Amino acid sequence: METLENQISDANSLVELEKVRIELFGKKGALAKEFSKLKDVPGPEKKAFAEGLNKNKAALQSSFDERYETLKKEEIEKLLKAEAIDVSLYGNLDEKGAYHPVMATMDKIIDYFVALNFSIEDGPKVEDDFHNFEALNLPKNHPARDMQDTFFFKDGAVLRTHTSPVQIRTMLQQKPPIRMIAPGAVFRKDYDITHTPMFHQVEGLVVESKGEVNFANLKAIMSDFLHYMFGDVEVRFRPSFFPFTEPSSEVDISCIFCEGEGCRVCSHTGWLEVLGCGIVDSNVFDAVEYKDVSGYAFGLGVERFAMLLHKVPDLRMLFEGDTRLLEQFR
Amino acid sequence: MIITRTWLNNFLDISEVSDDTLYKTLNAIGLEVDSITTHTIPEKIVVGKILSCEKHPDADKLNVCQIETNIGTVRQIVCGAANVVNAEYVAVATIGAKLSEDFEIKHAKLRGVESEGMVCSSSELGLPDIGDGIIILDESIGELVVGKELNDYKKLSDTVIEIELTANRGDCLSVNGVARDLSAALNIPLKKFDYESQNQEKIGLARVAKLTTEGEINASLEYVMASMESLHTSLLFSLRLAFVNELQSDSLANILKYITHTTGVILRAYDVGHIDLNSDEKLLISAKNVNDVVHISLDDKLGAHLGIHQEEELKATEKSTQILFQASYMNPNLLVDVVSEQKLDTDELYYNTSRGSEPNLCFGISYLTYLFENYNNSKLFDGSISISREVEDKIITVSAEEICQIIGNDIPKMEIINILKSLGFSVQMTAEENFGVTIPAYRHDIENIQDITEEVVRIIGIDNIEAKALKFVEKNRTNDSMKKYYAKKELRSRAVAAGFDESMSYAFTDRVLLEKYNFPVVNEELDIINPITADFNTLRTTVIINLLQAANRNVNYSKKSTALFEVGTIFNENREEKDMLSLIYTGQKESENVSNAGKPTNINFESFVKKVSSVIGNFELRTSLQINSIIHPYQSADIIINNQTCGYLTKVHPTVSEDFDLKETFVAEIDFSALVPEHINANPISKFQGVYKDLSFVIDKNTPYSQVCLTTRALQLPLLKKFYAVDVYEDESLGDEKSLSLRLFIQSLDDTLKDEQIDDTVSAIINELERVYGAKLR
Repeated sequence: METLENQISDANSLVELEKVRIELFGKKGALAKEFSKLKDVPGPEKKAFAEGLNKNKAALQSSFDERYETLKKEEIEKLLKAEAIDVSLYGNLDEKGAYHPVMATMDKIIDYFVALNFSIEDGPKVEDDFHNFEALNLPKNHPARDMQDTFFFKDGAVLRTHTSPVQIRTMLQQKPPIRMIAPGAVFRKDYDITHTPMFHQVEGLVVESKGEVNFANLKAIMSDFLHYMFGDVEVRFRPSFFPFTEPSSEVDISCIFCEGEGCRVCSHTGWLEVLGCGIVDSNVFDAVEYKDVSGYAFGLGVERFAMLLHKVPDLRMLFEGDTRLLEQFR
Repeated sequence: MIITRTWLNNFLDISEVSDDTLYKTLNAIGLEVDSITTHTIPEKIVVGKILSCEKHPDADKLNVCQIETNIGTVRQIVCGAANVVNAEYVAVATIGAKLSEDFEIKHAKLRGVESEGMVCSSSELGLPDIGDGIIILDESIGELVVGKELNDYKKLSDTVIEIELTANRGDCLSVNGVARDLSAALNIPLKKFDYESQNQEKIGLARVAKLTTEGEINASLEYVMASMESLHTSLLFSLRLAFVNELQSDSLANILKYITHTTGVILRAYDVGHIDLNSDEKLLISAKNVNDVVHISLDDKLGAHLGIHQEEELKATEKSTQILFQASYMNPNLLVDVVSEQKLDTDELYYNTSRGSEPNLCFGISYLTYLFENYNNSKLFDGSISISREVEDKIITVSAEEICQIIGNDIPKMEIINILKSLGFSVQMTAEENFGVTIPAYRHDIENIQDITEEVVRIIGIDNIEAKALKFVEKNRTNDSMKKYYAKKELRSRAVAAGFDESMSYAFTDRVLLEKYNFPVVNEELDIINPITADFNTLRTTVIINLLQAANRNVNYSKKSTALFEVGTIFNENREEKDMLSLIYTGQKESENVSNAGKPTNINFESFVKKVSSVIGNFELRTSLQINSIIHPYQSADIIINNQTCGYLTKVHPTVSEDFDLKETFVAEIDFSALVPEHINANPISKFQGVYKDLSFVIDKNTPYSQVCLTTRALQLPLLKKFYAVDVYEDESLGDEKSLSLRLFIQSLDDTLKDEQIDDTVSAIINELERVYGAKLR
């Protein structure tokens, strides 16, 4: 019996164990031999002999099962070990792309206004004088046209200098109440370290009945929007001038680089100018023949937002498909 | 517009107002401060009096000066500036003065002569450059006391404030104008400037000159005349003009500029040295309307286009002995129209006249009189001659209620009225709610109630207006633009997931490049007149060139592979706009890593197509019909979606790759409108088993798979669920033919397939391909 037990525990692999199984439990195995002796045992002892045999068989079976489990575990362990690799070699193996920070910023801006029930409107980039200037209270020769160096075409068309003509188109096509934003590319003849001949704006316009929309409303949404974009910043409103709004305001946030202490980015003022807004000038409503309405409008430069938000050092780099910059946003 | 603190103080007592308050107030009232700089002169720089000045024994260019640097203290200082010879009071940096971090004045010996200090120039003091040599002090900065620290002269260590004026605020193009606006906001009364001529020249101006007009003269004009002795620009004027970047070499030009910068009144000076005061002939000044331009002539010689430019010939200089001064005002709105329509040349003062100069000409003339009589020993002729345009006061009727409605906060009527009065508007009360506001002439920009509201807002301060959220009626605002935007966003997100970086490039390109690569160009007569650079001389008709250029830059940044996409606008010959999805992939197909032993292969047709497919979804490829010369003749394909050609993809022609210094490069350009997802209805799904069948044909080498595909599809076999190519094999033994293997998937919606159904479908395909292409089953 002990020899049999030893045979099981000496098996060092599943293959050896299988051999042992046949030797012990097989038809011609050791146990079968013992059982065959049963017929020669005299009647009265038969029962006791059989019981003894069964007990031994059960004990051996249990030893076998236990050994089997152990060997099986070892075998799997070996198999797994054989498949071992240095997983850390495979991080970031395949390429992934990145949204352009300006486009991603535009998305973030659009998300805000769509959530506030603004529609998205679009218009052509090649515009006529009426939509780009005249209707926006920028008559010919108005000094404010100097603010916007314009690209002209030989047939008198212009590349839109702002997204504001979309306001005019929307007002002409629809009826109040209007709540719209117009995101898109605009063009000005300016090219230096802080200007590119093309950049992106998001323009907004709200028109309701006369007396409904006021400056306090504009202040509320602009403050909220800037907090949404930049988090915990201070917001400052300064009166300014735009031909198509009156009263007009420029809006600053406390400098996110120096937190208002003054640094190179904010020209040591502690403030960063981020958008312009105002109450729509009645001349603009006259140009689209809207009567008894009130409204506000705002506009911002997306590149500026993106540069501030993501601390991008160089404006022109944004237009160069420079993957040294882009890959950082993957 | 640049002002300085002490200059401002001439018109507004701001001695109690800190720089910070000044900065905040200017910003709050819409005069945006660009910069504010206080010039601090280092310590130990004092007023020195030159007692003697002799040539250095051993150096031609040096002078040895004995300078009193404190009462009873005389120092010997060697000075190299030529103008020290004529100087009396100078700025002396004494021993121990630190002119900069690493420049401290010490005892020195210059060519053997002891020197105990340094005579400074303006720039050495940290002030703007006001000319060659040392700064010569005069009483214009205050009483000169030997030994007094220069930093104690507030007019020297002044605070310079640069304001970015908006185009409507011509009234603030002068120190007085800014003071006027600040006066309302700070609630400090404006100091009125008053000066009566001392009238030294007894001859009346009317005796020697007369003014005639011809046509309607829509301008105000005032003339005075003076005999000149000598002119000089005082230190204070030089400094202030230098602070505002207006210092010139001519003293007369400086004085005029100073007066205009101070008062806002436009001044011109004509040299009238030719007139004989003893003759009976009078100087004839004529103002004539020529096509709405006022021509000013002196004795029939054209002197100026009023408000636009002055002829050089009659312009007076510091050398002139007899000068006619002209102050003028024209309505800027009329002026800009005339100049623009007639394309007239303008000079530097047009900036002021076109934005609105000061209409109160007397102010400018009396300031001029004051300066010339008191500081320049000049004699003015008695009186002035003038004409003034007759304009009615502009009165706007407003109601406090409406102003409050625009602002959205309740502001007491009296507060509104007080603000307007403080800004120089006069208010006529009526019994009713409405009141009339008379607009001062210098505020030509005020036209309506919104303009007046803005004035109220400015002075109250926007920060003091309580924000209130707008209540509005909700409305479904989804529309086509929104749908397009989200479709673009989805596309971009897939491109990013497929490993492309998003690019954003200019809508401009170089016409030469477009033509070189045989892309369409915008018709000449529709093109840009005033491009910004030659590289951007036209609108792009493809984004591919921009992407190739971007890829090239990345190669230069040592990138071994670049994958970019852009959803951007292009234009056709007729300048019509279209949005395109454009992609480029150049260089290594995947990142360098251990599984490719750091040597990945370059991008190939198949990998590029896979990438494009993961961006735009299903499409077919057919032999490309594109004509641009970017495309590779044998590895290019048109992209077909819903049976419409909507773009192409191609390996970039090797000569083009070479132009851009690129390795294997693939590009694709797809019309965005074809990529806007359409509504999809699901087809019923079969519950029955389907079978796959492979068919291998021998077919003409030049028959593209797309043809086989079209022909097979045209059979409209109901059980053929899908089919695709699984093998292509070319071999010399096949000659002009190739082996093409198709895999069919056959399935019925209604029941289990029977053998004859499968056979019917298979043989239909075999027969048709044989009929059309002579294809034989292998």
